[in-house]
Amino acid sequence: MRMVRSWAGRLAAAAGLAVLAAVSLAGQEASYKAPRLAGTNHPDLNGLWQALNTAYWDIQDHSAQPGHVVALGAWGAVPSGRSVVEGNEIPYQPWALARKQQNYRTRMTIDPDDFTVGDPELKCYLPGVPRATYLPFPFQIVQSTNILLFSYEFADASRLINMENHQPPPSDFWMGWSNGRWEGDTLVIEVTGFNGDTWFDRAGNFHSDALRVVERYTPMSPYHLQYEATIEDSKVFSRPWKISMPLYRRIEPLAQRLEFKCVEFTEELIYGTLRKQPRE
Amino acid sequence: MSEPLRRSLKFLAVAVAIAGLAAVPLEGQAPAAGATRAASSPAAARTPWGDPDLQGIWNFGTITPLERPASMAERATLTPEEVTHLNEEEAARGDRRLEDPTRDVEVAYNSFWWDRGGSIGRTSLIIDPPDGRFPPYTAQGRQRRELLAVRGYDSWEDRALNERCLVYRPVPVRPSGYNNNNQIVQAPGYVAMLQEQIHEVRIIPLDGRPHVGDAIRPWLGDSRGRWEGDTLVVETRNFHPDSNYEGSGGNRTVIERFTRVDAETLSYEFTVIDPSTWTRPWTGEMPWRRDAGPIFEYACHERNYGMMHLLKGARFLEAEEKGR
Repeated sequence: MRMVRSWAGRLAAAAGLAVLAAVSLAGQEASYKAPRLAGTNHPDLNGLWQALNTAYWDIQDHSAQPGHVVALGAWGAVPSGRSVVEGNEIPYQPWALARKQQNYRTRMTIDPDDFTVGDPELKCYLPGVPRATYLPFPFQIVQSTNILLFSYEFADASRLINMENHQPPPSDFWMGWSNGRWEGDTLVIEVTGFNGDTWFDRAGNFHSDALRVVERYTPMSPYHLQYEATIEDSKVFSRPWKISMPLYRRIEPLAQRLEFKCVEFTEELIYGTLRKQPRE
Repeated sequence: MSEPLRRSLKFLAVAVAIAGLAAVPLEGQAPAAGATRAASSPAAARTPWGDPDLQGIWNFGTITPLERPASMAERATLTPEEVTHLNEEEAARGDRRLEDPTRDVEVAYNSFWWDRGGSIGRTSLIIDPPDGRFPPYTAQGRQRRELLAVRGYDSWEDRALNERCLVYRPVPVRPSGYNNNNQIVQAPGYVAMLQEQIHEVRIIPLDGRPHVGDAIRPWLGDSRGRWEGDTLVVETRNFHPDSNYEGSGGNRTVIERFTRVDAETLSYEFTVIDPSTWTRPWTGEMPWRRDAGPIFEYACHERNYGMMHLLKGARFLEAEEKGR
């Protein structure tokens, strides 16, 4: 900056520096201040969001590996990915670790007499929370003044986030029951009331109906949120553990949540043995 | 004024101006504790971003049929006595307790879980044509409707879309025995509708963007909305070719009109246009009534014992028949 000799000039320069410093600090991710939703003093999280990782295959570190279906070649193979689990360790109780390994072995098994066998995502069952967040499909956040609606493209899954008059879950659900609140600019959602039938990923990581998830969505820039989820389940894990990842805004013009009603893509898989005439 | 002073003051003025801008919230609006509503009339209630407020949990259940029964001939409306009678009849049917408990077991339990709703005071939901019935079907339309009504047991493909847990509520919405609930949530530039059965969300952009191209065919179609005064007008097309609304499939265009009548009522009007099925468009109307809720999760496919047992049963009967 050009040297300024006059007192007014130095004052102006100091003010200018202070303003520049404030602006540049605001530009740092830690103190990004998102635009407010009209009529509220909360950040506007409306938009189409998507995770960009391979946690949907396995939330822990995983190497590239073949898929289960030879005919699918590279389409069906598992890509490599780094853990979204902080510390890369899931603190299973001993019985639960054995169960996870069994889940993994039978993840593509369909049993017409037992709906609980095999990966629920494979069968287009509702994915639960937090799995719905990091499936390879976008989801839309519809944020109103006192309620939010999350609409996931996968299986047309959805959940309402109650921001007022929090009630305990009236029943047990695949997508749980979500009570939300704001902590500053972070949307904090406590999810309980799970039925215990969803998994965390395709690797067989699972939970019981005692699952409690606390999610945190924090706007970091106009284009991404930081997502964190703390997992607690006293029947399955020996302590709480945490996953985290960025969620990216889908910014292409006219970005739209499309439809993936996958039930019809799984009927042959689930009911195929019950056809009158078997398919060739 | 000296030149250096003038330049310094200019810089200071700009710096102060920038500091001033940074302090103002980007939206430029004073934050409010919650949504404010027009005190005068609930029908004029607006969201903070200025859209008519249609939000809430709505029940569209009704025992009034889509088409006027032949027995009603030219009558469009019912008397209050007739409405009361119909509603009482429906309530009695819902609480039917059979005198013989063994028969009660056969029907599982009494029918308290039905939630069909009441009469809307008319003989049909269809208001145009004025006779309350569909306009004539085309030959192709009639044929498709009859074909789709046939139910076989060879595979799931012979069953209705709702039995497959694929689509339960078509567009336009059609009331049924229960779960006739819908929650509307609005955001700037969007109206979203969560249909309880089966947990689907219709996302309706309001920014005038074009529909998706013809190759993209969702089961619930592709919706675009706009405001006409206080009415939300939604146009939906690009329906999946195998979708089925009274015989109409991928060729239909649906225009829906949502208007807040009062705090407890939404007016829902729907026009269906499909020249391949009906010889002219037709229109229906029904009120949606505010419901306490909450909306429950309707997980259908996850435990579709109905489909499993239906197919198993059919195969069992065939094997038994063969064995004779």
